Amino acid sequence: MDLFLNLALNGLATGMLIFLLAAGLTLIFGLMDVLNFAHGGLFAWGAYSGLWIYGKTGSFLIGIAGAILTGFLLGIITEKWIIKPVYGNHVQQILITLGLMLVLSEMLKVIWGPNQITATPPDYLKGSWELGGVIIIKYRVFIILAGLLIYTCVQFLLKKTKIGLVVRAGVMNKEMVQALGINIQKVFMFVFMIGAGMAALGGVLLGPYSGVIHAGMGMEFAILAFIVVVIGGMGNFSGSILAAILVGLSGSFMAYYVPDLSLAVNMLLMAVVLIIRPQGLFGAKG
Amino acid sequence: MKWLRTNKGTTLFWIVAAFLFLLPFVYESRNLMILLTQIFIFSVFAMSYDLLLGFTGIVSFGHAMFFGIGAYSIGIFMKRFEPTMLNFLLALLATLALTALVSFLVGLLTLRLKSHFYAMLTLSLSGLFLVAAEKWRSLTHGNDGFTFRVPEQFIDRTDYYLICLLIIAAVFMMLKRFTNSPLGRVLQAIRENEQRTESLGFHVLHYKIAASIVSGVLAGIAGILYAMSLRFVNTSVFSMDITLDALLMTIIGGVGTLYGAMIGAGLIEFAHDWLTGLAKEHWIFERWIIFFGIIYILVVMFFPKGIVGTLRTITWKRKKQQAVKKKEKLAG
Repeated sequence: MDLFLNLALNGLATGMLIFLLAAGLTLIFGLMDVLNFAHGGLFAWGAYSGLWIYGKTGSFLIGIAGAILTGFLLGIITEKWIIKPVYGNHVQQILITLGLMLVLSEMLKVIWGPNQITATPPDYLKGSWELGGVIIIKYRVFIILAGLLIYTCVQFLLKKTKIGLVVRAGVMNKEMVQALGINIQKVFMFVFMIGAGMAALGGVLLGPYSGVIHAGMGMEFAILAFIVVVIGGMGNFSGSILAAILVGLSGSFMAYYVPDLSLAVNMLLMAVVLIIRPQGLFGAKG
Repeated sequence: MKWLRTNKGTTLFWIVAAFLFLLPFVYESRNLMILLTQIFIFSVFAMSYDLLLGFTGIVSFGHAMFFGIGAYSIGIFMKRFEPTMLNFLLALLATLALTALVSFLVGLLTLRLKSHFYAMLTLSLSGLFLVAAEKWRSLTHGNDGFTFRVPEQFIDRTDYYLICLLIIAAVFMMLKRFTNSPLGRVLQAIRENEQRTESLGFHVLHYKIAASIVSGVLAGIAGILYAMSLRFVNTSVFSMDITLDALLMTIIGGVGTLYGAMIGAGLIEFAHDWLTGLAKEHWIFERWIIFFGIIYILVVMFFPKGIVGTLRTITWKRKKQQAVKKKEKLAG
């Protein structure tokens, strides 16, 4: 039971981190038809900048805020100067975002050096609780709560606010939204900013969780996020959290029982989804 | 020899090839020889990538996986068994079979969907191959890789250089014919307008899968050549960097031209060699890839046709202007 609970918590925490990355990807894809291959780069930038600020100021919360801000800024720059000039051309978009990924991760190495950077959680999140013989690590619970909080906030934003309404309408039919007199370009930028901010938040939360950060981690997590986006359905926000939890859990259980197959199982899951339901397991929109 | 005289570009290719063929006999330089061999190998790889990206309009982010399959098959065969010609041929066969199978499966799964899916699936599948190569230590020796001996026919550097030159010429001619064949024409039609091609009665999926298989097999051959030139193989052959190399070479050189892929391969490999040499002067040159990343983004944005394509457009425009002037003269 102890083991099971620990693995489940671990999987949930990883799932939440993947969700933070995948949610932005899926929203951006749904609205703008852009698959942002540079998303992993934003994730890594969030981690580096957040932990750097955390190290300088000594406050983890300021670090998180700094990471989100970095994500917002990078998101705006990316949307404005990289994505917009090639809007409407799929192949060019895919190519250019991958180029950006390359530049982003190399920039990390230029600024912070090519070596791994260690990270520890702040004192109040260190250690663990003991509940009836079960040891629960605090930081994991923190990640899960943070992920759920973000999910609720974004869900609220999408379902209850004006801008959310526009975004949802844009996912369905953006020409129509434009025809109704809404400046969809601004909405694109807003969504890109939010997506990048979420990715950066995921990055900074991952730092103390895994202990070390390195420039290649963006790509590693981006691969998982792509799997999640396919399983959850492209452009499906609620699908992405379920798929992220699924991938996180399967990853953590497989990593314990059959460690060599943990990535393979997720890949297999993706292949099966691609064959049977290319529009994703959750929801009908393709 | 009618097939030799197709156009200016092909003639130029044969002149350069003849020059490169004579080079080792007049100019003895081991380093240059190794660098050129490397360029030939990556040219084959980049051309195979160009077939997908430039001629069919499919974006793959996991081309390294075919490269790696080739490199590991030859490595494992040469390490496990005697390095003889027979075993080399067996490794070649294994590579052909494996790359064809993998590219067929990947194509079957994703090519009927939007272009994003192929890019994503290949990206994650090559990640899977990378992990597999790291974990399956009994076969691959993990991250450290292993050295192996090559058949004696391939030991001499100059011989190997000539063999690679022959192979690149053969691959170039083959791809030239392939892209100009009816099948190749359909592929280009798919790139231009997929729905229209479909409605003209072509089964688009079959053609795309065919392109993906040819490209995968050629990339596997490039992998074999690469591993044999180093006589060493490790997990880096599956890494993202290899795919990125192909991307940079094809995009900067010019997509859909084949020459572009070769020029790009030459440029990048030369620059790599030169800039890593400069790393002693200033540390920023160690991160030389960043320059290429920026150039790459600029090329995608402003010169989506790359070097060769842009040059072609310029000469085409000039010809057109001349033609117009001639007409005006005749009329006036």
